Order: sequence, then structure tokens, then C-alpha cells
Amino acid sequence: MKFILAVPALLLLWTSNASAQWAKFPDNSIPRTRDGKADLTARTPTARDGKPDLSGLWQPEPDPAGKPPGVQIVESIHDNFVIPRYFVDITADMPPSQSLLQPAAAATFMQNLQSGGKNDPSAHCKPTGVPAVANLPIPFKIIQTERIVVILYEEGSVFRQIFLDARKTVEDPQPRWMGYSTGKWEGDTLVVESVGFTSKSWLDRLGHTHSESMHLTERYRRADAGHLEFEVTIDDPKTFSKPIKYTQKAALVPDEDLLEYFCTENEKDTQHYQ
Amino acid sequence: MKLVTGVALSFLAVLAAAPAIGHHAFSAEFDADKPVKLSGTVTRVEWENPHAWFYIDVKDPSGRVDNWGFEMGSPNILIRAGWGRNTLKLGDTVTVEGSRAKNGANIANAKIVILASTGQKLFAGSSQGQN
Repeated sequence: MKFILAVPALLLLWTSNASAQWAKFPDNSIPRTRDGKADLTARTPTARDGKPDLSGLWQPEPDPAGKPPGVQIVESIHDNFVIPRYFVDITADMPPSQSLLQPAAAATFMQNLQSGGKNDPSAHCKPTGVPAVANLPIPFKIIQTERIVVILYEEGSVFRQIFLDARKTVEDPQPRWMGYSTGKWEGDTLVVESVGFTSKSWLDRLGHTHSESMHLTERYRRADAGHLEFEVTIDDPKTFSKPIKYTQKAALVPDEDLLEYFCTENEKDTQHYQ
Repeated sequence: MKLVTGVALSFLAVLAAAPAIGHHAFSAEFDADKPVKLSGTVTRVEWENPHAWFYIDVKDPSGRVDNWGFEMGSPNILIRAGWGRNTLKLGDTVTVEGSRAKNGANIANAKIVILASTGQKLFAGSSQGQN
């Protein structure tokens, strides 16, 4: 069985084939180059209130190294794209440590790892929570206004509301897969603080989990028209002995839109898990 | 948990398989060491999330017919890769390469689908990139 794929070649294939039969609706909010294509290096668009406008359809970018370290990919018609490393391992960029996980969390992690994917909530059509949902190579759409930023994630057809109206976060919020998020601007960066998470979601495909007291900080910055990055800090002392940090990049997908995705529509895999 | 990196990597090989994206780990259901290559006639296409499926009748030399199911990616992924829900039609004769389910049922994860009438490789994306 041939296991290893030439990932850069796949990426090329993905890019060149994308949208071959997919309707394009030109977005005139994006500057165009002379040949009519979206100018992805144009200046960051500005919102009416003068803030950088993060609105757009974004595709989380694959691992810059081609594939996450140590990862082999089973060849399949599925793998027309490359996996962002944090989708596989949320701790990928953390320096080696003997004690990154608290003892109970370490035991849970080993159980999850050894389940061969069968314990993964998403394998049972449960939602992919925050922050993992933004580390999949599946697009999300940001809609920005002065008082709220809404993020629509194609994975699971789920949404997130980030309140910018200076409200305080709620006390003892109902645990949610997507958390309860408030945000504020610091210069050209949108800083989002999230709490109120259910502990049911996984942080990555390996099986890192978190507690209900996870505090998430995301710093979103759109460097130019075509490029978004968000620095994520996971602060959860019950799970990790120190905050987990990583920065995920995303590329603008011009002229396209989200599709819907409901995992339960025709799920027939769980009966075959072994 | 960096101390388990060595252990983790041995699982990564299967856990991080691309079919895991969006739904389930390849290794939870399919066995990469059980390759199948079958030819038959398309009897059903299910163009639905989380995975598109199609089914073919496979006739063995004795005349016995078995129906096989093949799992593909999500329709969303396939659409963006240029395929449509009518790309594979009922009655088409196809040859499929893939990996069989671990439980031994007549189902597999499709890797390459070749349309007999034209020799056209459908859903052959990854094969072009393999080493």
C-alpha cells in the first residue's frame, strides 16, 4: 500500500481543480488585478467604522511544511487537500515537555489516542468545537459589523457570535461547543476572549481534550486583502500545565460561498467502526 | 503531551489520514492493508453528507453477483474538486480501487474510480500526487 503522498502536488491539484463546476459570484468588494482576478495582495479592506474589515470566505491554510511532522496520509479520493498541523495536534508548536498535560488529562489523551479515532466526537457526528473547527481545511465565513462579528463555519453548518458591544461575559454560561465570545479591537487586531465551553469537544484529531474552564484568546489580523491569521492561546490549567499557543493562517477564497454540511444526513460509518 | 510523541506517531499514521477530515478517522473503519480492486455496474449513488457513497454489482466468474458499497469524500469536497452529483450515473460500468472495511463487509473506501466507457479516471485526485 502506498502511504505517502506528494503533498505539494496534491495542493496544486486542489487549487487548480477548485471550483471547476462551482458557480462564481464576483465579489466587488475585493480589488481586481488587470486580468480581473481578485487582488489578494491588495490593502486590507476598511470597514465603515474605520476598523480593518475581516469579512470574507476564508480557507484555513495547510501546514507550511507540507504535512504535519510524523503524519502519513492514506491515499484516497478524499485527500485532495493538506491538513493544517494544528488539526492533527494542537500542541504541535509547543516546546517538548514532560509535563504539558496534567495527569488526569494525560490519561484521557492516551485513551483517546488508542481508540484509533473511534472516540472522536466528530466521528459520531457531534460538532467540531472551537478552536478545532477553524483548523480544518474547510472554509468559514466572517461577517463583521460594529457590534458583532459572526463566523459561519461550513463544518457542521455552525455559527459563532463574537459580541463587540463591551458587554461582560456571562457568569456561569451554559456550556457550549462554540463557547461564549466577546471581542475588542487593539489597533488592527481583533482580540476575542471565549469561555463557557463544554468539555465534550476535542481540540485536535489526536484526542487532546479540555475542561469547561478553558479560556480561549484569539487575535485575528488581516495582513492584506487575501491573508488572515489568528493567534490562539488556550489557557486551561486543569488540562495543561502551561498555555497552548499556535498561529493558524487562512487564505481568502474570493467569489465563492459556503455550502451546507449536516453530518447526520446520511451517516453510515459508525456501524462499521472496529 | 510530548513525552508520548513516539507512541503518538505510530498512531498518527492512521489517525491523521486525510479521510478523517470532517468526519471520521480512516482507521476507525477501513484497513489500508486490505486493498480491493473491483469492476461492476453502478446500482445506486448517494450524494449526501458526510460522505458520498456509490454501490456496484460485481459478478464473479461463477456468475454470482455481490453488491459493494464505496465511500468517497463529502459532496462539498468533491464539488469543489470539480465533480458533480451526476458525474457517476446508474448503469455506468466502473473499476474501483480502494481499501476494504475492517469488519469484512462488502464496503470500502474508494481511492480511484475508472469509467469503463471512456477510460476516464473519476475521483482520481490523489493518485496523481502519490509517490
